[in-house]
Amino acid sequence: MLRLENVSVDIAGAPVLRGVNLAVPPGGRVALIGRNGAGKTTTLRALMGLLPVRGGNIVVDGQNCTGAPAYRRAALGIGYAPEERRLFGSFTVLENLRLPAEVLRLPQPEMARRLDLVLTLLPELRDFAPRKAAGLSGGQGKMVALGRALMVGTRAVLLDEPFQGLAPALAQRYAEALARLRDALPDVAILITESSPALLRQLVEQTFVIERGEILDPADALTD
Amino acid sequence: MMEWLSDNGLLLGLAVLDGLASAAAIFMVAVGLNLVFGVLRILNVAHGSLYAIGAYTAASLTAAMVAAGLPAWLSYPMLVIAAALVGVILGPLIERVLLKRVETQEPVLQLLVTFALFMILEDVQKLIWGVQPVSNETPMQLLGTVDVPFGADVIPFTAYQLFVLPGIALLTLVGLAWFMRRTLTGRVIVAVTTDREAATSQGIDAAKVTMLTFTFGAALAALGGALASPMTSMVPGIGASTIVLSFAVVATAGLGQIEGAALAAVMIGLGRSIAVYLEPELEVVIPYLIMVLVLLVRPQGLFGVTETRRI
Repeated sequence: MLRLENVSVDIAGAPVLRGVNLAVPPGGRVALIGRNGAGKTTTLRALMGLLPVRGGNIVVDGQNCTGAPAYRRAALGIGYAPEERRLFGSFTVLENLRLPAEVLRLPQPEMARRLDLVLTLLPELRDFAPRKAAGLSGGQGKMVALGRALMVGTRAVLLDEPFQGLAPALAQRYAEALARLRDALPDVAILITESSPALLRQLVEQTFVIERGEILDPADALTD
Repeated sequence: MMEWLSDNGLLLGLAVLDGLASAAAIFMVAVGLNLVFGVLRILNVAHGSLYAIGAYTAASLTAAMVAAGLPAWLSYPMLVIAAALVGVILGPLIERVLLKRVETQEPVLQLLVTFALFMILEDVQKLIWGVQPVSNETPMQLLGTVDVPFGADVIPFTAYQLFVLPGIALLTLVGLAWFMRRTLTGRVIVAVTTDREAATSQGIDAAKVTMLTFTFGAALAALGGALASPMTSMVPGIGASTIVLSFAVVATAGLGQIEGAALAAVMIGLGRSIAVYLEPELEVVIPYLIMVLVLLVRPQGLFGVTETRRI
């Protein structure tokens, strides 16, 4: 479904990703583990087309998307929930959820179906729906960001450190939501980044470890 | 006090009417400047040139229309047509050829580029329209004057400045606020303004939205100029004074504010015109005095919101 082939990315002239190879199969649950600054966020942003790639290929559904404009990723069915949520504060939660579906010009019934699905998977969003996104707490915002990613992410969702900064009770609820997601939408691939693998053990099938912009050999990575 | 009022009351009334009319034109320019800054994060100094070119174009089109023997009422649609032409021709040209290239550069460089463009357009304007004052009287004459009752007296005031100009500005204010909040295109512009990268991840083609918004902002500046053209005479330098004024309005209101810009335009328009009638030396200083006073108390502007921290 998603494949990075030998991808290198520089930020401000410094190499951040060095020949990253990573594959997420259709419906696969994959974790990308690494310390702060290892290149997790950069990997996801490169996948989303938000950063220029110096070398290598980004392949989505067998299609080379390396140079394709970033805004087309949503139409390919890829949803992205960045670490800092990045909701539109002046919009309500419902408007935030609907925006990507409206931009893609989804027909009204399809939009309603997806919204319903998101609200079933993340029932707490029903309570926030009419509230302005700027007034949400960090944890609530993370839930909304996940919901928004699911509105277009019919093939894959990329979740950047979703547990970062969540209170334990909220982290628990978030993990439960991901488990429901896995059961309800088995075809949607999930790529999650985290700094600690412990939180994801139950949720993923495969783990990649990234260090200083390189994916470690699985044999080395197992020492954790 | 009462004595002073009876001596100067009529002047004050006239100043208020004048101030409201000029506020209407400044509002259009300022709200365009605001939109453009929102999507591009570039303070476009050449925005004032678009005002000037809009005003000159309206005058030329109206003159051509009158010369062709067309009915005088056509001079009103001509104001809007002039603005649309300037926006649609110059907007995409400036955005694509110039500003897009400096998108990722330092703000100082971007500012210099728009300043250079301003100087170029100022000369282009002199080449086309010369340095002698140009006027556009037809729209003003057609409607004549209205006697505005003011206490025991009446103030004769042009109907154009009293109704047409504030009316169109009000329509722009209401229409724009509705457009930004209720239409998908409006929300997409707000999304790109708030967070370009997040908007892109939602499937929004930010480059296209930026160009459209720039064109729209340019057309608003030109519309401000076209609407002001019947009440001023166009000379070199009107672009410069307009950009400085509309910058004062945007800074006073706070970035991203539509209704706030309208109120700030009224404050600055009134302050200026009252100064013209009472203490003409102060006219130039008043807008900045208002701006400085507001910014001392509220650095984010009257209605601006401080950016919420992301983490």
